[in-house]
Amino acid sequence: MDNAIEVEDLVKNFGRVEALKGASFSVRDREVYGIIGPNGAGKTTTLRILSTLISPTSGVAKVFGVDVVKEPVKAREMISYLPEEAGAYQNLSGHEYLEFMAEFYDNGSMSIEDLLGEAKHISGLEERLDDRIKGYSKGMKRRLLLARALMMRPKLAILDEPTSGLDVLHAVHVRQTIRDYVDKQGVTTLISSHNMLEVEYLCHRVALIDEGVIVAEGSPSELKDKFSAENLEEAFMEATRLG
Amino acid sequence: MGNLRSLVVKEIKELVRDPKILLGVVLMPLIMYPIMGSAMSISQQSMMRAMASASFAVYNEDEGVVVDTFLEYVYTNNTVHTIEAGSLEEAIMAFQETNASTLLYVREGYSENVTQGVKANLKLYANLKSLSIVETESPNAVSGLINLYSYYLSISKIEGYIAETGGAAEPDAIRSPIRTTSASIIKGNVLEVSPSAIFSLVMNQSITLPMMTMLTLVFAIQMAATSIALEKEEKTLETLMTLPVGRMTILGGKLAGSIVVSIFGALASMLGFGYYMNSAFAFAPEMTSMTTEGFSLGLKPFGVALVGINIFITLVSALALAICLSVFSDSVRGAQSLTGVLFIPIFIPALILMFSDITMLPETVRWILLAIPYTHSILASKAAFLGNYSAAIGNIAYITAFTVVVLYIAARIFSTERILTSRFTLDGLRNLLKRR
Repeated sequence: MDNAIEVEDLVKNFGRVEALKGASFSVRDREVYGIIGPNGAGKTTTLRILSTLISPTSGVAKVFGVDVVKEPVKAREMISYLPEEAGAYQNLSGHEYLEFMAEFYDNGSMSIEDLLGEAKHISGLEERLDDRIKGYSKGMKRRLLLARALMMRPKLAILDEPTSGLDVLHAVHVRQTIRDYVDKQGVTTLISSHNMLEVEYLCHRVALIDEGVIVAEGSPSELKDKFSAENLEEAFMEATRLG
Repeated sequence: MGNLRSLVVKEIKELVRDPKILLGVVLMPLIMYPIMGSAMSISQQSMMRAMASASFAVYNEDEGVVVDTFLEYVYTNNTVHTIEAGSLEEAIMAFQETNASTLLYVREGYSENVTQGVKANLKLYANLKSLSIVETESPNAVSGLINLYSYYLSISKIEGYIAETGGAAEPDAIRSPIRTTSASIIKGNVLEVSPSAIFSLVMNQSITLPMMTMLTLVFAIQMAATSIALEKEEKTLETLMTLPVGRMTILGGKLAGSIVVSIFGALASMLGFGYYMNSAFAFAPEMTSMTTEGFSLGLKPFGVALVGINIFITLVSALALAICLSVFSDSVRGAQSLTGVLFIPIFIPALILMFSDITMLPETVRWILLAIPYTHSILASKAAFLGNYSAAIGNIAYITAFTVVVLYIAARIFSTERILTSRFTLDGLRNLLKRR
C-alpha cells in the first residue's frame, strides 16, 4: 500500500530565500508524524505545499499517491489543514462557521448534522457555539478551528503548531483531543511544532528539520537513542550540531 | 452549485454583519441623504418664510404729488417702516435701528421727473447684518415691486401719448416691440419647448446616470477589497483555499457576494437620493415632476435591459479589478488604499461626461477617455437613454472585453499561490525598479 505522504527532494525558493533545500520524508497510513525545528526551518512551507497552498520550486509531494501539484483539487478532498495563525469569520457564530465548513464535506458518508455533531463534540464549546466568534478567546477559537479541521474525519490532517500561543488549559485540551481523536478515527496526522515535548507526546515518528533540510528521522525513542539524548530537544541540538 | 451558494451566503453574512460595511454602505445613504434633504428643505422653507415676511423701510425726500401714488402702492400688502429724518445720513442711521433689511430711498425730484418724462431715480440700501441669503435677496424683492410699478407706469404713460396722438397701437407692443419664442427639434419632431428647458431636464438625467454608476462602482470596489482583505487580516484565507472546492468557485462566491451587497448599497443610495431630491426641492415641484416622456427621450424596455447588462458587467469588472489589487495587501485599510487608485478612472470620465459630450472634447482627451473602460459604462447608459442602441451595444462590448481580461487575471491570481504570497511594499517596488 502507498504511504499516506511521500515527499521527495522538495525545494522551495521565495525569491533569493531558500526555504526548503531538498527535504524528503514519508508518512505511513494512520501514523501521527511530527516535523520539528526552529522558526524558519521550513516546517510551515512543507505543510503549505502538502496542503496545495503553494507550489514547490522542484521535487515531488504526494498524498495517498496523488501529486498535490498536478491534482490539487483531488488532494484537497483528502486533506484538512489547520494553519498556525488561522482565524475564523468574526461575524459568524461558531455554529454558523462550522455549518459553512460542513457544507463542503456533505458527501454522503457524513451528513451536515453528523459533521456538526462531531465538531461540537471535538470543540467542547457547547452553547458558546451560538455566540459570534469575535467574542471568543484565543483558546476557544483554536478549539473551534481544530473541530473544523477534524470533524469530517479526513484521510490526512495537517496541523501547523496546533497549540501555539495557548494557555496550559487550552493547550492540554487541544493536545488531548488530537491524541484521542486520531487514535480512535485512525486519521493520518502531520503535525508541525517547535514544542518538542508536545511532539514526543503526540507523534509515532518525527522528522527533525533545520534550514530546509531533514537532518534526522525516527520515533522519539529511536532519535533519543541515536543521539544519546534525554529528550527530543537534546536530540535536535545534537543532530543539528552533527549535521 | 451548493458550494457556490454556501460561499455567497457566507460572504453576504460577513459583509452585512460588519458594522463598517452596514453603516457605511447601506445605512448611511438611507440616513444621510434624507437628513441632508430635510436640512435643505427646512432651510429653504425658513428662507422663504423670512423672505415672505421681509419688511423694508422707506425714506422719502420728495414732496410732490406723484410720489404719493407710488408710496401707496408700496405700502399696500407690505410691512413698511417709514423713516422720518432730516438727511440721508440720519435716515440710514435710523434704518439700522429697525429690523428691516432694505431701505428704499426716494430722492427729491421724483415727482417732477416722472411728470416731465425724465427718469426718476430710486436707491436701495441693503443692511447686511449676517450675510444670509434672505438679506442679500431682500433688495431683489423690493426691486421686483418697483419694476412691476415701473412697467404699469410706463404702459399708462404710453397709453396717454397714444391718446394724445390719436393712434391705435398697443402700449405693450410699443414698450417691447419684438417677441421671441423658442422650439426644439428632437429626432425630427418639432416640440414647442425651449431648448434650455429640455437641456436642464436632460442634464438632470445625464448627471444622475454617471453619478449612480459611480456610486455603485465605489461601493462594489469597497466590498471586494474588504472581502479579500478581511480574509487575509483575519487569517481565514488559507483555510478557505484548502477546502475541496475549485478556486474559480471561491472567486465566483466572492464576486457574487460583493455584487449582492453593493447592489443593496446602490439601492439604498438611490432610495436615499430620491428622498433627498423630493424633500430638498419640495419648494420647486417643477424640478421633480418634469418627465422625459413628452420629449421622446427616456428608457424603453430594450434600453432598460441594456442599462442593466451594462451596470452588471461594469460591476463585475470593477469587482474583479478590486480583487486583483487587494490581493497585494494584508489589511482592510491597505486594500482600500490600494483600490483607491481605481476611483481615478471612474471619477474622471464621470465628472467630464456629466457636463460635456464626448464628441465636444479635444481629440487627445477624447481618445484618452475612450481608452478608459468606465467611460464606456457611462456612454452606454447615455446612448440607451437617447435610444441609440447600436452605440450602447458597442460600448458594452468594449467593457465586456475589458471585464473578460480582468476576470482572467483574477482567475490566474486565484489559481496560484500569488493570492497568499503577493505583497505590495515600497521595498518590493524599489527592488523591482532596480532590476529594471
